[in-house]
Amino acid sequence: MPAVTENDVLVYRGSNFFRQRLILSSLSGRAIRIEEIRSTHDDPGLREYEVSLIRLLDKVTNGTRVELSETGTSLYYQPGILIGGQVTHSCCPQRGIGYYLEVLLALGPFCKEPLNAVLQGVTHSELDVSVDKLKTAALPILLKFILVDDGLELKVIRRGAPPLGGGEVVFRCPVRRHLRPLQWTTWGLVKRIRGVVYALRVSPTMANRVVDSAKGVMLKFLPDVYINTDQCRGSNAGKSPGFGVSLVAETNEKTFYCAEAKSVEAGKGEITLPEDLGRECALRLLDEIARGGAVDSAFQWLLALWMALGQKDVSVCIVGPLSDYTISFLQHLKEFFGVMFKLEAIVQESEESDDEEDMPLANKIKMTCVGIGYVNISKRTL
Amino acid sequence: MADESAFDKKKAHRAKQAGRKAEKKKKKKQIDTSNLSARQRNPKAFAIQSAVRAERQFRRREDVIAKKQHIPQVDKTPLEPPPIIVAVVGPPRVGKTTLINNLIKSFIKTNVTSTNGPITIVTSKKRRITLIECNNDINSMIDIAKCADLVLLLCDASFGFEMEIFEFLNICQVHGMPKIMGVLTHLDMIKNAKTLKTTKKTLKHRFWTEVYSGAKLFYLSGIIHGEYLRNEIKNLARFISVMKFRPLSWRSTHAYILADRMEDVTNQEIIRKDPKVNRDIILYGYVRGVPLMKETMVHIAGVGDMKVSELSYLPDPCPLPSSEKKRHLMERERQIYAPFSGVGGIVYDKDAVYIELKGSHSHKQEDEETNEKKALLKNVVETTETIDEQMQESGFKLFSGGAVIYPDMLKDDEYLQQKSKDRDESSEDSSSEDDEKSDSDHDSGIEQNEIKTGKNQLPWDNGSNNEEESGEETNSEKEDEEDFGIKWKEKMNEKATDAYFERQNTSGNIMKLVYGEFEIGNKTKDKIDESEDDSDEEEIGGLFKKVTATQKKKQKEKERLDTDECSFFYSLDKPLLRDWTSESNKQHLINYFVTGKRSADEDASELLKLDDASDGDDEEVYGDFEDFETGEKHVTNENSEDINTLEAGNKRKAEPTKSEILDKKLKLKAKFDSEYDNPDDHRIKGDHSYYENLKAEALKQSELNKSVFENLDNGLRIEVEGFRPGLYVRMMFKNMPSEFVTNFDSTYPILIGALNMAEQNIGFVSCKVKKHRWYKKILKTNDPLIISLGWRRFQTLPIYSKIEDDLKCRYLKYTPEHVTCNMHFYGPVTPQNTGLLALQTVNNNHNEIKQLGFRIAATGSVNEINKSTQIVKKLKLVGTPLKIYKKTAFIKDMFTSTLEVAKFEGAKVKTVSGIRGQIKKALNKPEGAFRATFEDKILMSDIIFCRTWFKVDVTKFYAPVVNLLLPLGAKNAWQGMKTKGQLKRERNVKSEANTDSMYTEVNREPKVFKPLVIPKQLQKGLPYRFKPKNKSTTLSGKPKTQLDRVAVIKNPYEQKVTNVMKMLKMNFDKKTEQQKAATAERLKAHKKQLEDEEWRRIKRQKELKKKICRHLSKMGNKKKTQM
Repeated sequence: MPAVTENDVLVYRGSNFFRQRLILSSLSGRAIRIEEIRSTHDDPGLREYEVSLIRLLDKVTNGTRVELSETGTSLYYQPGILIGGQVTHSCCPQRGIGYYLEVLLALGPFCKEPLNAVLQGVTHSELDVSVDKLKTAALPILLKFILVDDGLELKVIRRGAPPLGGGEVVFRCPVRRHLRPLQWTTWGLVKRIRGVVYALRVSPTMANRVVDSAKGVMLKFLPDVYINTDQCRGSNAGKSPGFGVSLVAETNEKTFYCAEAKSVEAGKGEITLPEDLGRECALRLLDEIARGGAVDSAFQWLLALWMALGQKDVSVCIVGPLSDYTISFLQHLKEFFGVMFKLEAIVQESEESDDEEDMPLANKIKMTCVGIGYVNISKRTL
Repeated sequence: MADESAFDKKKAHRAKQAGRKAEKKKKKKQIDTSNLSARQRNPKAFAIQSAVRAERQFRRREDVIAKKQHIPQVDKTPLEPPPIIVAVVGPPRVGKTTLINNLIKSFIKTNVTSTNGPITIVTSKKRRITLIECNNDINSMIDIAKCADLVLLLCDASFGFEMEIFEFLNICQVHGMPKIMGVLTHLDMIKNAKTLKTTKKTLKHRFWTEVYSGAKLFYLSGIIHGEYLRNEIKNLARFISVMKFRPLSWRSTHAYILADRMEDVTNQEIIRKDPKVNRDIILYGYVRGVPLMKETMVHIAGVGDMKVSELSYLPDPCPLPSSEKKRHLMERERQIYAPFSGVGGIVYDKDAVYIELKGSHSHKQEDEETNEKKALLKNVVETTETIDEQMQESGFKLFSGGAVIYPDMLKDDEYLQQKSKDRDESSEDSSSEDDEKSDSDHDSGIEQNEIKTGKNQLPWDNGSNNEEESGEETNSEKEDEEDFGIKWKEKMNEKATDAYFERQNTSGNIMKLVYGEFEIGNKTKDKIDESEDDSDEEEIGGLFKKVTATQKKKQKEKERLDTDECSFFYSLDKPLLRDWTSESNKQHLINYFVTGKRSADEDASELLKLDDASDGDDEEVYGDFEDFETGEKHVTNENSEDINTLEAGNKRKAEPTKSEILDKKLKLKAKFDSEYDNPDDHRIKGDHSYYENLKAEALKQSELNKSVFENLDNGLRIEVEGFRPGLYVRMMFKNMPSEFVTNFDSTYPILIGALNMAEQNIGFVSCKVKKHRWYKKILKTNDPLIISLGWRRFQTLPIYSKIEDDLKCRYLKYTPEHVTCNMHFYGPVTPQNTGLLALQTVNNNHNEIKQLGFRIAATGSVNEINKSTQIVKKLKLVGTPLKIYKKTAFIKDMFTSTLEVAKFEGAKVKTVSGIRGQIKKALNKPEGAFRATFEDKILMSDIIFCRTWFKVDVTKFYAPVVNLLLPLGAKNAWQGMKTKGQLKRERNVKSEANTDSMYTEVNREPKVFKPLVIPKQLQKGLPYRFKPKNKSTTLSGKPKTQLDRVAVIKNPYEQKVTNVMKMLKMNFDKKTEQQKAATAERLKAHKKQLEDEEWRRIKRQKELKKKICRHLSKMGNKKKTQM
């Protein structure tokens, strides 16, 4: 959905990519207007979780102006300056903490003061990246751009399953004046697989059953598989029952692929078998590994963002096939920053695909871009 | 090194082996053993003798090396750099124009009659320069300092350095120091040789203190026939053409353009109707600094922030010569381009009259020609798909108005069912689109573009639509169940999974998938291009196909409009996962693990084999080995698959050829040599690997920057990279104030600076500044100040402050004299550490300059940007006691309302005498009074203070200096907001004196103390003489009886009597005194006599005792001897 520019305000329609637009607007300093937000729905206007996101953005910025129409179907957002610092936010349990955490991760390096955010809510959600995945797969990407890890940290204090949540995480992020250009074209081979199985307010055997089945699949490929179980008790287990698993595959070039699966929400009538869950997660991880690339497919957009926000130098990265989300993110990047990626599909040897005709190979995409020379204007120099 | 030598095809030098020359050389080489130094004769004796000394030497060497190191910067100069801007700066009548004319003549051998604006000339095979003269306006000086690479600072030697030169140097220091060369002119005015010498010397040293010691200073010793001496000019030109430049931080992050041509393209009819209407103008110039992005905001210095509405590149009007092998420039390659001066094709005039001169090249026509050619060529180049692919994508329609059928969708007949519905919607959509079209103000060209882009996306877009829909339909499976075949349904899930991969595979051009049909390069080119593309597709597809596609896209968009945002790969639909555990899949996937097969250059075993092979082993052995290993790894595998993997594995690695092996060996040898085989290195070396690594990284990055887009199509390259420096671009600005055109003066530089992200926004800027030591006055808070920051010059109202120890910004009314302070103002957001310059006026009024002396008021740099400020000043609230209890007191007059008190509850208060307390709670009776507690009882006469901080707001005032819009004569007389002092002086307003500060007569009444009252109890215990004698006391402290006494006045006789009595008394007193003294004397003498007598007596006794003792001892001795 291309934007229309009205005297330097980008005008969008629809609630989709709400988060992308707000992130890019906050970073670029360009005002946006979003119209027709669910205008044809029975429940028009912004959802609670989106309003919560605006609240969060308001907390980490100074001078932000938000105007909502009465029906909530239209929003005007004029970003201020990213402040960061100590932030506590109770996220809306409709979406996971990951929904909010990804925003903070994108904005974190460009704040005035190092971000120290406490987020409360649902740590593992169906729609969003879980906090485990962010911790294991997204933070290493940021580390590549800031090089020195001074205080980059994501701590899961309590876990919380939907629908009630009750989880809590602490996210710390250092600030940088500018990001380094990155060349990341090899990702190596998977050398170890780690994982966490959590069981919240359910029988601890569930966790062990998940571990068994997941391990069963993974051991066929690699002997180095360790899966921890995290049996939460009392207040640490959040408010709702649930269990799930996240598996991480680490390559010998520090690329992390992560897959996760969780039980269906309690009270929905369906039952998840732990064995199925473990197997499903393992298959997803294999899927992710097969897709390949330097980063996990869920964080392609973060990679693209940080590449584009680098200095005026060339960054080159190779990722797996672009997800829809990344594609729209690239489009948004072009609209906000005017930066365009050179994308090339790297065609693999054709013989292999001839051998197995029923399996279309995932093409790797080589992303090349010149950073826009973004500097963190909010940081203070003495 | 080895590679380079391989490429170098030059014939090697062959030294003479015999003959006179060879013998000579031999003789030269022979070491004369007769006069060798001791060190040469006996090197062992001069080995390290003292470890301490060696350590010192080492340390010193390392110090020297470390001092030379700088943080490596990524070199951003492009392959074909833009012309170097050489600015000629100096006070009026110093010879600037003459110098430019002479330089041009020396470079390109032609005379230029008028020099207006930038003049670009080709000076050598790899260098072009743009000469620009700086007029005497401080605005121009600032703009020139921001863009010049090299400054020729002209100075009249007979007069000495003038204030302008020092001002200019200070401006340069703030905005990034360009290279500066001083040029002394008018040397022939100094007749005396000795004075000439001393003048040169003093001027040189003064110049060195300003720039750096050793800075180049040229002497132009005289003028002959209106020209400088040819030799001296040649020398100067030589220096200019070999000058090297250092990157400046602001310019290596911002693109900028020094416009050298301007066109007004507004419709003449509109201008005729309203001469003041906003114009559309076009500015031309070379991109400098960093690549210029397409949709960027720019700041035109002297005009304001503008949006570039159209940006395209043109063929270079003054190109570097083609890289033929020759030493010198050919005559026709010595080009000059100066539209403002009437050279190089176009004479620019106020009435826009263009006259073509000899040797000109009309750019307009050439543009269109080349555009057309390029468009045609691009069309051919851009067809990336093979004919087979095109066939696959091409569809056919059965009847007019029917759906287009593609080969790969033959079975999906749901299209036919949906068709009618789609068409209805399409008609609606198109109508709405039409409405939008008519509403929008864009000119038609752009719109057409948009529509065409929609149409153009077809071939691949349609494909993706298929997949999208099939994916979405998995969700709404139940509703549509009857419509679709069962077979199709079964396959559906798999389809969804594969769709993502397929989409990536369908076309090679993934960029189209992401960005759609983007505009490539110049817009004009695009239109032609697209129309041709259209016609192509019509042949392939047909008209109806387009309609369905655009309309389908619309529908897809509509569906995507409000979906939930999710960053997963399979965002909302959960496709069936492939069973990776099945053997065939597993075999494929295992290669992604360390347990699987690795590529040839990574696998340890194969590297080993490579070494073996290089030793001359047979390849068959290697094959056998391989087989064995794979077999060992996958024991469970069946035989057939084993072979399969084997084949795959073989294909994957390249078999090492002889040359490869040789290469590898050479590389290893070189590495070994460099590490161990360095004959010169006996000395201990420091470890510089960290620095070397940094340097190598920067070098690698700069090489990557240069090489990565080298082979890209120019249009696409510009899309991705931006307009790289060195390109000649044409920028169109809409809604430019008409004054810019009507008051255009080409002697003023037009500097167009690109603004990076967020720099077009306005916020509160806090920076550290120092008043310039040559500026006569101190600066006052909230006095308007003109600031040059980044590209901009603007007027604003600053507030000065000082950072206290607790990091609080305390308001200052004036800048301190010789230390830095903080300054806050409302202005454009600019990155930290950017230099800024403050002036109080940019008016070039002669009297004003004379009065001011030095115009630069302050310099500094940006610290922080924010959207609010926290500046505070001290505030003392004063109150008085209303009623005092023991340690509690009611205080009034400090606040006016209960609400105010409530805000200050718990605040500290203090009396003048230092008794501390706290505000407790408001009272309700006198409004604003409150209860407070203190550490001691306070007095009614005490004053109570509450010390607080008051927040001072920065006034939101920001006015760009728009000197380019001013009328021709008055461009240097921009007048912004005036200071309060200025206004008062103009209107002769005197401020009223504060009556509190007036001097008045001091009337002091004598202090009246209360009488001393001694309690009765105390009186009882007092001795009589301390007891108060009179019970009744009066205010004056005297007893009543004394008041009652009558004054006695004596008659003369009585007076005499008293006099006599007095005298007698006096006599008597004297006498007694004398007697007393005499007695004392006597007594003293008597005492002495007594003492003497006593002394004598004691002496006698002693002698007597002695005698007796002696006798006694004698007698004793006699007795002893007798015995």
